[in-house]
Amino acid sequence: MSKKISTAYSDPAPVYVPVDADFRLKDNAGEIAIDTNFASQNFWKDVLVRFFRKGGAVFGLIMIVVITLFAIIGPGMNEYTYSGQELSQKNLAPRVPGLENLGIFDGSETMRTTTGSMKVNNYEDKGLTDTYYWFGSDNFGRDIWTRTWSGARVSLIIAVAAALIDMIIGMSYGLISGYFGGKTDMVMQRILEIANGVPRLVIVTLLLLVLKPGMLTIIFALMLTEWVGMSRIARAEMLKLKEQEFVLASRTLGAGSFFIIFREVLPNIIGPIITQVMFSIPTAIFTEAFLSFVGLGIPVPQCSLGSLISEGFNSFTTHPFQIIPPIIVMALLMLSFNLVADGLREALDPKMKEM
Amino acid sequence: MKKYILKRLLTAFFTLLAIILILFILMQLMPGSPFNDEKLKESQKAALYAKYGLDQPIVVQFFRYVLNIFQGDFGVSYKISKNTPISQLIQTRLPVSVMVGGVAVVIGAIVGMLLGLLAALKHDTIWDTLATIISVIGVSVPSYVFALALSYTLGFQLQWFPMLFSTKDMMGSTVLPSVSLSMFTMASIARFTRSEMLEVLGSDYMLLAESKGISGGSLIFRHALRNALIPIITVLAPLIVDLMTGSLVVEKIFSIPGVGSLLVNAIQSNDYNVVISLSFIYSAMYILIMLVVDILYGVIDPRIRLAKKGE
Repeated sequence: MSKKISTAYSDPAPVYVPVDADFRLKDNAGEIAIDTNFASQNFWKDVLVRFFRKGGAVFGLIMIVVITLFAIIGPGMNEYTYSGQELSQKNLAPRVPGLENLGIFDGSETMRTTTGSMKVNNYEDKGLTDTYYWFGSDNFGRDIWTRTWSGARVSLIIAVAAALIDMIIGMSYGLISGYFGGKTDMVMQRILEIANGVPRLVIVTLLLLVLKPGMLTIIFALMLTEWVGMSRIARAEMLKLKEQEFVLASRTLGAGSFFIIFREVLPNIIGPIITQVMFSIPTAIFTEAFLSFVGLGIPVPQCSLGSLISEGFNSFTTHPFQIIPPIIVMALLMLSFNLVADGLREALDPKMKEM
Repeated sequence: MKKYILKRLLTAFFTLLAIILILFILMQLMPGSPFNDEKLKESQKAALYAKYGLDQPIVVQFFRYVLNIFQGDFGVSYKISKNTPISQLIQTRLPVSVMVGGVAVVIGAIVGMLLGLLAALKHDTIWDTLATIISVIGVSVPSYVFALALSYTLGFQLQWFPMLFSTKDMMGSTVLPSVSLSMFTMASIARFTRSEMLEVLGSDYMLLAESKGISGGSLIFRHALRNALIPIITVLAPLIVDLMTGSLVVEKIFSIPGVGSLLVNAIQSNDYNVVISLSFIYSAMYILIMLVVDILYGVIDPRIRLAKKGE
């Protein structure tokens, strides 16, 4: 009976033997598409994409890279040194091989006198057929190309060092003040208010009167003045984050205060902090330039962008080419850092208002 | 509100005291004494010390110093113009600086507001981009770069305006320094006006005003701009800092006989007494302005006012 039924079932269709292909995944690449709007993506990748979408920010980044490169290799690109003087070749206008045949950068400059203006070429007058100063030479016969780039190097070192030190001090101050709250916060914020009440100008001026002018002194002065802004941001971010669950979880697991502050919260606020660092670099460049202009900057023969501008200012109506390179480099540097910082701020926080 | 103002006043007062203390300590640290003349005998020195109160304990000296400063007595200049009271030096110079700075603020505020307004009303057009570029440059490039550029082109080459400041031609010679100082103010106010205007223009009450039939200038100036400009007080503080620092260099470039160039001269000739007095003046001005800004903001912004009332 049972045998009969089984034969009746198995009779009509042949037995299906599975093949290898049945155990492979179906090729559906053409059918599925990842919805990029909702797909989870690495946060920093997102930031990068948003950052590079902004023309200004990319321009700024490129300019910073180019200027930094020149600051590194520029001084070595010709035979002059930043302090080497050649008094017989002073105040020569820019002259670049190749370009001179086009009528620009051929070493001639227009002299203005009370009777009118005339074009002179000091290279020809002095018989210097084989001498080239790409950006001209200053009134001690020093090469402005070399000096501009070594000045940019000094300014960059000062600015970056000051910004990094500010970051460390301001960040720690703000984080600690925000995390502990209560009386600690009260005292720390009152100190900060007083420190903030003294104009930066006054602190820097007084400090440089007491200490010897130089690179370290300027970095120290900048350090004393710029940490306030950074600590404000760190504190505000800390106040936002410290009530969140991951902090509570960490505390429940027995983490100490300093572990929570620096290992749990800090990595989460690194974005705004980097932005603030980028904003404080142009401030540092400006302050250094300002100090040099006032006469409290880098001692001679070393130079920074500020001291070059200050030197060029003395003869900027007679030899304007001497002041133009450092001014342009400084303006471009400050502009670029601001653009990058702006771009970074928007990339990190897309909800932020534009501009 | 009263509590808030009181708190701000106290902070300002203690900041000022702290600054005076720092300045006093610095004075003590400076090398040498006022009576370095070797011809002076010990007894003469002692007499001089007694005359100026330098033989008294340091605490008493400090309180006398504070008292003198609050009475406007800063001592005399030792190097720049010998034995002239510093208060007298400042008296003639402060108005010049304040005038140049004031004109800069006025120019910057008006031009900046118009620029920001233009950018917001013509949002996402070429005007907007142009205004953005101008304001980014204005914020990033320091005022003395503008000063040098203007002084060379408009002052030296075209000779439209005098290159150097002169009291005979106040109007003409204020133009270049004020314009170069105003760039930062202009740029930050333009940025601010733009972003605030964009927010206000998109708000519900603007829609309501529009649906009630208000249009054109009245809509933009009476309803939108007025609300957008309230928070502008917050940008005043960085503006003032920039004006102060900028004025030092700009005054030197145009040789304006103001406080800034006095400070530069004093620094360069090591006239400590003048430097320290001016530091105090700058700090006091800064603290006063910050105080006014904070209180004004409390008065204007109902959130701060009401929060403090509820306490």
